[in-house]
Amino acid sequence: MTDAEAPLEPIVCARNLTRIYPLGSGTVTGVEGVNLDIARGEFVVLKGPSGSGKSTLLALLAGLDAPSAGELTVAGRRLSGRPPGDLTRFRREAVGMVFQSFNLLPTLNVLENVCLPALLAGRDEREARRRAEELLERLGLSGRARHPADRLSGGEMQRVAIARAVINGPALVLADEPTGNLDSKNGTAVIELLARLNREDGVTVLLATHSDLADGVATRTLSIRDGALVSPPCGA
Amino acid sequence: MRRLISFLRLFAGFSLRHAMRHGGRTVAVVLGIALGAAVFTSVRLAVHASIASFTRSMDFFAGSADRVVVRPGGLLPEETLARFYTHPAVRDYSVLSTTYVRREGGGAEPFLLIGIDPLLDRGFRSWRIEGGGAQAVEAWLDLLREPHTILLTAPLARELGAQTGAGLALEHTSRTANFRVTGLLAPLGLALVEGGRVGIVDIATFQELTGLHGRVDRIDLKFRRGVTPEEIEALARELPADLQLQSPSAARESGTAMIRAYQLNLSVLSFASLFVGMFLVYSLVALNVAARRRELAILRALGAAPRTLFRIFLAEGALLGLLGWLLALPIGSVLVRYLLEAVSRTITTLFVRVRVEELVLSTAELAVSFAVTLGTSLVAAWQPAHEAMRVSPREAMDMIAPEERRRESARSAALLALGCLAACAALLPLPPTGGVPLAGYLAVLLLFLGFALLSPLLLERLAAGLDGSLPRLAGPPALLAGRAVRQGAVRTAVSVGALITAVALFTALVIMVHSFRRTVEIWVRQTVSGDLFVTAKMGQVNRFRFPIPEEIVSELPRLAAGFDLVESRRFLLERGNFPYEFEAMGMETFFRHGDFLWLEGDPETLRPRVASGEGVLVSEVFAARTGRRPGDRFQARIEGSLVDLPILGVVRDYRTDGGIVFYSHRHFKERFHDPRWSGVRFFFRDPPADPEAELARLRGAIVAAWGDRLDLIGGRELRGAVLRIFDETFAVTTVLLVIALAVAALGIATTLTVLVLERSRQLNTILAVGGSPRQIRAMIFWEAAFLVVVGEGAGLACGFLLSGALIQVINRQSFGWTFLYTVDWSSLGLSLPLILAAALGAALPAVRAAFRQPPAALLRQR
Repeated sequence: MTDAEAPLEPIVCARNLTRIYPLGSGTVTGVEGVNLDIARGEFVVLKGPSGSGKSTLLALLAGLDAPSAGELTVAGRRLSGRPPGDLTRFRREAVGMVFQSFNLLPTLNVLENVCLPALLAGRDEREARRRAEELLERLGLSGRARHPADRLSGGEMQRVAIARAVINGPALVLADEPTGNLDSKNGTAVIELLARLNREDGVTVLLATHSDLADGVATRTLSIRDGALVSPPCGA
Repeated sequence: MRRLISFLRLFAGFSLRHAMRHGGRTVAVVLGIALGAAVFTSVRLAVHASIASFTRSMDFFAGSADRVVVRPGGLLPEETLARFYTHPAVRDYSVLSTTYVRREGGGAEPFLLIGIDPLLDRGFRSWRIEGGGAQAVEAWLDLLREPHTILLTAPLARELGAQTGAGLALEHTSRTANFRVTGLLAPLGLALVEGGRVGIVDIATFQELTGLHGRVDRIDLKFRRGVTPEEIEALARELPADLQLQSPSAARESGTAMIRAYQLNLSVLSFASLFVGMFLVYSLVALNVAARRRELAILRALGAAPRTLFRIFLAEGALLGLLGWLLALPIGSVLVRYLLEAVSRTITTLFVRVRVEELVLSTAELAVSFAVTLGTSLVAAWQPAHEAMRVSPREAMDMIAPEERRRESARSAALLALGCLAACAALLPLPPTGGVPLAGYLAVLLLFLGFALLSPLLLERLAAGLDGSLPRLAGPPALLAGRAVRQGAVRTAVSVGALITAVALFTALVIMVHSFRRTVEIWVRQTVSGDLFVTAKMGQVNRFRFPIPEEIVSELPRLAAGFDLVESRRFLLERGNFPYEFEAMGMETFFRHGDFLWLEGDPETLRPRVASGEGVLVSEVFAARTGRRPGDRFQARIEGSLVDLPILGVVRDYRTDGGIVFYSHRHFKERFHDPRWSGVRFFFRDPPADPEAELARLRGAIVAAWGDRLDLIGGRELRGAVLRIFDETFAVTTVLLVIALAVAALGIATTLTVLVLERSRQLNTILAVGGSPRQIRAMIFWEAAFLVVVGEGAGLACGFLLSGALIQVINRQSFGWTFLYTVDWSSLGLSLPLILAAALGAALPAVRAAFRQPPAALLRQR
């Protein structure tokens, strides 16, 4: 097991983080005994083969799953043992998610998809719309605002997903294989976009991936195998 | 054979495993089909048991007679027999009379007393005295030579507590007599009539008890071998004009013809639940085709022929139907117990007296229910199976855009809907086929289909129309729900179609039953008016065949000072196979206190003409069945008189099956013969200060004088009883409706659950981007609200159209009567929100399903 520590103010602080799933009469270990600190403003790349525990770790950090053991604090909020209402507020305010298969809602258009987290959080609709248009403009998608989300190309869909992830101004963006369904050109563009958000807006990024596309922009690279971090505690 | 085995293997691997993996939805659909099939099967079995009981009784009565001689509306003089002693065409003859009697003491249930000549009857009907040997011979001889001896069936003897040799006091219309039970009947032939509640006496004893000396109900004839139809016709011509030669099965045929119309109506109504269940099968098979499109494409790419895919999904439908039918058997066995009683009671009230002692498990009825259930499921699976055939192997590599295809489907469904509605409008005015409103039923089916096919467009339009305003009011859950409904309009439309059908049936039947009840209430108030009704004892059960004795008739006015009396006499007649009543009544007095519910003719001008005996009034049913209208003539032979009178008007009447002809009692007596009185009603001449006390005084006086020979019932009591019978008649309808609504709610629950399960990825995405479980729940309820609002709104519109079709076409063609159209706004206003709430409640399983998959699964889905 490898401990990861960061010199700056930690936005993620995990101690002995464990997630074990029941499966039939036995159990499957998702992650076990993870100790991890990520500082504000870092761009951390998490690498590991399929089934190594990348997605489990991201789900725990996003408040989508609850740890079986250990302590987890993200953006100053302790997540272990929190009620669902607190976790919903946490997801609205503290984190943004980007998925491999984009997960845009096909029934909404591009602008509505981007606005959705703000609307779900109860923000003012006009303000949400203005912020979404601003983000789309910045991501080069302003001409696509009224298009149905499922009519876009893969690269465009992932850019929309990134805009959706950051509309509520989260401190942490969790990206799970965001380039997995894209060609190398579009993949590179998505990584550059995340790096720009990290650089310009100070958004902390934790990116789980198989690929090497993000190696150049990462402030630190972690490796995970069989549910445990195996790379050196401090990257780059 | 090898092909079949390999198909079954593929079916087991592809379909059965999938069905088991999604056990919940499969079970819901099977349950829906089972409920529908159970209702259909048990209704048919219940009516079949009643028909079987009735026809069996009629067949035992008919025995082996070739022809029966009767006197319409009256009794035959016994001396008619003399005509047949030496007639060359006649080999054997016998007499038969029946009436209802009851054990003395009041309150006992009447049973059928059959009067026969034990000697003559042996060659006609089968009956045997239990035990055999000398004891039976003795009992038979007793019946012949000893007055007031009776044979009872064993169950009836047990019920009456009268064993062989015991005494038994029986009361009839005008007298009570002591009988001795001379033996018990073996359970065969006549002993099985009316569920075994019969007693047999010698015809002389019968005549003494009933006072019908020298008269019998009918004479049965057997012809010599080789007799020709011409000889039979000659025999009929030789009979006096007031006698008729009939087929022995005429009574059975006319009775079963009436019951069959009722059976058809109930069958169609019960089919509604199965029809709603059909939507469920369609819904599930269509979902499987849509959700497994990629797998189908892979199968095609691996070499499966299109027809193999077609057969797989058709087999899925068949399997659902088969499982539903099998599950329907235990459900139906419970339901049929309730229905059997309700149906036989209704048949007894409306048509002919039946008494069903046991349920006959008819193989033919079970085969019909199996064929209908399986056929319905196959029809439901046909279209999705056909859709599966069209999956291209290319789709394994390249998914097509389903959105575009759905839009096309919604539009083409709407076009098809318009076609169905146009065909419905064209079919409704068509006349019945063989007395059955086949075109009407087909039109109703097309109406349901038309509205169900319209629902995708309605859903799309509603969701689109509210897209701007609703989210502003109800937030993102309403926006997401509206969009999801628009996207899945075609698929959800199937369940919405089921709800439309159920709500339409509910609305139409609420309107129809309310209209009918309101009309009957008015009819009861006007036509069944009167403060006290008096008939000869057991007049009702004996269909008013036995008049009130003359000495009572002459004394009654003296007891009833301060009352107006309206005398009446009813005759049961037949026109072809259509039985009807002729009622001679005191019109002048009647019009002073009551009135008819006029349908054709001007009441103001007709009342005096009817009162003066100028002509008859006929009921709507009589007019519909015989085609006779005002201006035509009414002709019938009644107790020896040939009645030939003009028809002056048509009135509504809801007595028994409604065929009735009214004429002035006084003028009947003047122009034809004295019909005597079978009943009399009393009206207060002027309203007294204390009507109850005055009525009690009159009742007391009549009971004191002739309480053992007359039946009395208060006007309010009688009118209450009529309305109670009406409500009991429609109790079956209510049960069928509730089941149809339950099946529809099941449809909504299944559809929503399936939609939610299909979109679990989207729902988890919403959670991941900040949606709360509460918002997800709200979204699902909004989706349910869209489906239910369209289902209920369109169902309501369809229901109003359907109510018109039911009242003006189906009912008129089936039963011959119509009623005043009135809408029960309070019932609809109260029940529709309840249906709305129940259908929204159907969203609960979907809500539970929404949180079945953990949101973290999203990160494992690629």
